Amino acid sequence: MAVNVLTRDDHRLQAARHRASIDLSCRGPVLAFCTTALFWLLVGSALALIASIKLHSPYFLTGSSVLTFGRVRMAHLQAVALGWSSLAAMAACLWLMCRLSRVELTYPRMLYVACALWNIATTLAVGGILLGDGTSVEWLDAPVYAQPFFVAGVGLVAGWVAATFRRRQESHVYVTQWYILAAVFWFPWLYTVATLMIFWTPVTGVVQPVINWWFNHNFLGLWLTPIGVGTAYYLIPKILGRPIHSYYLSITGFWALALFYSWAGMHHLIGGPIPAWLATASTVGSMMMFIPVIAVAINHHMTMIGYFHRLKYSPSLRFTVFGAIAYTAVSFQGSIESLKDFSEVTHFTHYTVGHAHLGAYGFVAMIFFGLYYYMIPRLTGREWASSRLIRLHFWCSAIGITLYFTTLSIAGWWQGRMLNNPNVPFANIIAYIQPYLALRSIAGILMTIGHIAFAILFIVNIAGWGRLRTAGPTLFVEPVQQHTPEVATSVPYLRPQSVHLHQ
Amino acid sequence: MDPVDVAVLLTVFGSVLTFGGAAVWALNWAVQNGQFENFQRGALSIFDVDEPVGQATDYFPGEAPPPAAS
Repeated sequence: MAVNVLTRDDHRLQAARHRASIDLSCRGPVLAFCTTALFWLLVGSALALIASIKLHSPYFLTGSSVLTFGRVRMAHLQAVALGWSSLAAMAACLWLMCRLSRVELTYPRMLYVACALWNIATTLAVGGILLGDGTSVEWLDAPVYAQPFFVAGVGLVAGWVAATFRRRQESHVYVTQWYILAAVFWFPWLYTVATLMIFWTPVTGVVQPVINWWFNHNFLGLWLTPIGVGTAYYLIPKILGRPIHSYYLSITGFWALALFYSWAGMHHLIGGPIPAWLATASTVGSMMMFIPVIAVAINHHMTMIGYFHRLKYSPSLRFTVFGAIAYTAVSFQGSIESLKDFSEVTHFTHYTVGHAHLGAYGFVAMIFFGLYYYMIPRLTGREWASSRLIRLHFWCSAIGITLYFTTLSIAGWWQGRMLNNPNVPFANIIAYIQPYLALRSIAGILMTIGHIAFAILFIVNIAGWGRLRTAGPTLFVEPVQQHTPEVATSVPYLRPQSVHLHQ
Repeated sequence: MDPVDVAVLLTVFGSVLTFGGAAVWALNWAVQNGQFENFQRGALSIFDVDEPVGQATDYFPGEAPPPAAS
């Protein structure tokens, strides 16, 4: 009787094959989310450029009501926050949950439905706003007929994430899973409550902006932030091959975020006609956010200590570490901005816009770019076509957002100082900030060039054009020559040209 | 109280109970389940024999992999 003794290489092969089969099970739905997310990133970039140019060149595209600033700016927000960021976030949730639970994705067809529903909603939101159907409620500008589609789409994704988690084969719940589970639990409820109370059974008076800003801040804090931070908690150690610096701190950070982030929304209404205690409680919550932010910062940055040279080698790591640094910076800044004395200057100025973009782009988008560069080759079985284009994307995005943030922070600060001085004529303030706004458009053009490079790489990869790369870090290629035929058919997308196990 | 006030109060208290309750339940489950007992093992759960600790898993396509960690 033959006895099968598994060698070390066999164990490695089994592990690699299992991981590849999980990636393969996610391929269709996750790529659908990724592709449509990228489409909305490009739409959002175009709308952003139009809105930005209009601020320093007010006669740009004035002939059409569709392209007025009030519509284009709101459509931009929906395209990038609900379109790009949320679709990419849902792709992250699905892929990471499968990998970390070590199970394949089941019933993928329903996730195509979820993706379609979310995209219908985003189309109705962006199209509706451009055609004059926007609601004028910031962040919730989408027409009411788009709202049920958003809820149904994210509801399905949440259900699939929960079902995948229940079927998990890995007994330990990794910190990224905590963040993802929390996000898919919080967001559908958050969105439903906010839309119900503002549009379907509207509350009146100051309660309406209170709910509005409770939603807006939590959209970032309880939806995009946990998924972005969770993604970095997976990618950084996984790319480096080094466990997270302090796992204990990472869990503490998660629970501190769960406890404090939802308080923070009212700091947007400082100085507004709301009860003073509401704004003060928010300021306290914002200050308490130092705890989870410092926990995440220590972990992300201490894990990198001694490994910074790796940034030269890994495209995913560059984007992810940039995002992690931006998270630390934007969170510290956000806590300081919640102080009333600071708000006296910066409130209602471009300073806030710079802060928002450091969060939504410098942190969230950069981490999702890092995720794409890591995840897509593993889903398609094909390496990126050009390192040069990846570098172009990184430098355009990194320099673009840095320029954007710097110019708007300087312009916004002095704008606030001058607005508080009754001796400064309003027209002088406009004239002072105009060159900074022009620089903002240049930053926007840079970021858009990066997005076009990114889109080219993505399309070439998905379509299977260009040179095939069989030797790369990301691909698992089945060594058919050495193993039985059933092995070769179990993972059909893998190319059998060569044996590739990591050295 | 008009119906809108009732709806607001129900939503607020419902949210407090749902979210507070969920957080307490999840924390309790995690403690009972031993999730917080061995943090070192938790940190290692993303690695396996094919992609072990010490193995870099990403570098630019067509270029040399990074040298071993210092």
